[in-house]
Amino acid sequence: MKRKDMLGLRDSTAEEIGLILDTAARFRSVSERRIKKVPTLRGRTIVTAFFEDSTRTRLSFDVAAKRLSADTLGFSASSSSTKKGETLMDTARNLDAMKPDAIVIRHPCAGAPHMLAQAFPWSVLNAGDGINEHPSQALLDMLTMRDHLGSLAGRTVAIVGDVYHSRVARSNLYGLPKVGARVLLAGPGTMCRPQMARPGVELLHRVDDVLAEADVIMMLRIQRERLAPGMMSTSREYARFYGLDLERLERARPEVLVMHPGPINRGVEMSPDVADGDRSVILEQVTNGVAVRMALMYLLLGGEPLPPGGDDAAAS
Amino acid sequence: MLLLRSARVVSPPDQLDAICDLRVVDGRVAEIGVDLPAGDSKVIDCRGRAVLPAFVDLVAELPDPGMSWREDLRSGSLAAAAGGFATVLVSPVNDPVLDQGALAQGLVQRGRGAPGARLLMAGALTMGLDGAELAEIGSLLDEGCVAISDGGRATKDLSILRNALEYARPFGAPVLLRPGIPALESRGCMHEGAVSMQIGLRGIPAASEEVGLAAIIALLRLTGGRVHISHLSTERSVTLLSQARAEGLSITASVAARSLVLTDEQVSLSGYSSATRLLPPLRPESDRRALCRALADGLLDCVSSDHQPWTRVEKEVEFERCEPGAVGFESAFAATLTALEGDLPLVARVLACRPAQILGREVGIRVGAPADLVVVDPNVQRPVGPPRYSRGVNEPLRGQALRGRVELTIVDGVVRHSLTDRPTTR
Repeated sequence: MKRKDMLGLRDSTAEEIGLILDTAARFRSVSERRIKKVPTLRGRTIVTAFFEDSTRTRLSFDVAAKRLSADTLGFSASSSSTKKGETLMDTARNLDAMKPDAIVIRHPCAGAPHMLAQAFPWSVLNAGDGINEHPSQALLDMLTMRDHLGSLAGRTVAIVGDVYHSRVARSNLYGLPKVGARVLLAGPGTMCRPQMARPGVELLHRVDDVLAEADVIMMLRIQRERLAPGMMSTSREYARFYGLDLERLERARPEVLVMHPGPINRGVEMSPDVADGDRSVILEQVTNGVAVRMALMYLLLGGEPLPPGGDDAAAS
Repeated sequence: MLLLRSARVVSPPDQLDAICDLRVVDGRVAEIGVDLPAGDSKVIDCRGRAVLPAFVDLVAELPDPGMSWREDLRSGSLAAAAGGFATVLVSPVNDPVLDQGALAQGLVQRGRGAPGARLLMAGALTMGLDGAELAEIGSLLDEGCVAISDGGRATKDLSILRNALEYARPFGAPVLLRPGIPALESRGCMHEGAVSMQIGLRGIPAASEEVGLAAIIALLRLTGGRVHISHLSTERSVTLLSQARAEGLSITASVAARSLVLTDEQVSLSGYSSATRLLPPLRPESDRRALCRALADGLLDCVSSDHQPWTRVEKEVEFERCEPGAVGFESAFAATLTALEGDLPLVARVLACRPAQILGREVGIRVGAPADLVVVDPNVQRPVGPPRYSRGVNEPLRGQALRGRVELTIVDGVVRHSLTDRPTTR
């Protein structure tokens, strides 16, 4: 891949997305073995810098790097010198002095990864910036969809909930149309706005509006901490118009996939029986997350596209 | 004595636009003519150059005292002169805020003695610019302030604003206000629209400025008095302004020079550069074009530098966390000339004549008038560099290829900036 950084899917091409997903599919077998490690990134240093709390994403990047034999070190906002007033650029200058090869960054401000990518020679992987993008999550969503649906061209993906504040949704809004999928948006008027519609992306309203056509229903987490006053009413009202329960799911296509980027507010955007039901692929998303992040690190740090063939090609 | 030789002299109030020579003696224009004898005058060859009335800026921040690492009166005055400004109205955003008569005296004097452009002071509208209690508006004006300003903070409480306008009216000085509704701006950091949605930044809707302006106009109708809108940035605001003027209200407005060149796309193109974080924010192309048109049609009065210097420390942070504002003195002329397609008489009107009239200052190039003059090269085209005199580093126009350059700024007959020399000090 000819790029230094993965900042978002807004500026990625369909070819790049295809290459990342193909590479991820090949790396998946590493996690199935008894010895879950290949020497591909031996001697390379990857820093995970999380300026915002995260469990799943941070562990996923960490385990991905370790399975490629990279040395990893990480810090989170609560333990770092940012608490003592150091600026992001100064923190980054110090990291730079330790000669890393790549930095995985999550930050509450949109554009923070872009700022580092412009200023430093190492690769920057955006693990979520403000309400902007979270590209590795959208890629793992696409890999999961591809596992079940084959090609995504011509498929319909519904994204339901707080699209406005969701970096996962924003990355999917860029990525999915590039691989030929059609996107339907549903959610409260404060969270799904007319400016989001464009070719390949349609704006609807209630969850009921998307059930009949969707091959995939992606439910988004309501992030109360991001909401300004007046952006939603009660959780009960939310569930009534925008929540997914079994009764609604029965009106969807029988083979529909139910996805969620996690963590779930059970009983708000999704009832527990749907989250744990047989249409849910939520835990497959987590498994694919490791493979996608292995592929991103491998390709950004100069790995050649893997030749077609056996699952162990990545080990050489 | 100076003799500006063979310049295109442009002065709209004097219906003057001709190639001629211009002699300056004792701080005043002494002679305008063709082939004037050199005599004892220092001759400056101005072939291919234009001479305009020097610029007057109504919207600039020089946070001295209090935050003079960002800019002090000296560096600000020199930067302004380098941009062709002879007169700058300084916003009361210092610390302590210029809200009491006793604070004004020293500052007014320092401003008059500044080494580049002359600095005039605007006093605060409310104590500490907090929008809660009236500042000593009368005393500030008595002690030499020439205007009253909200310092770019949109006033939250409309009853305070109403009373402030009533109170200021009999003193006669213009009141500078930024239209905006703080509650609609609180978490936003760029124009709300397609671009903010694309790049994941919370927006400030144009409605904030338009509701704020509609409120100011309605109050002005109630109170009478003079208002100058310090930051106007949308097409609909222009409509509101011209309706207010059509019914006879005394309201004028400035637009920041950079808003005539840049749009909200620049936030995305620059990769979230903190220099593009502004208040009011950069607007879409349709607004940019409407603002240029409004200047040409005379609906919009002035172009300001909206100079708001920040150092690297304050701007080298995440876009969402940095302070809004950008430097503007040294790029304002080129931005204006480029946006107005080289129309020098129009540039003279919006950068010099209208703002001078709003401050009640004499303006124009005629025999006997004070020699506040700027010599510009209107043809050179070059990319904007970093500021040379200002301490601020936040120049969103950096790298833009703009037309025109200030070569010489003359204040009261004294050269205060020359492209080739350092400015002279008194």
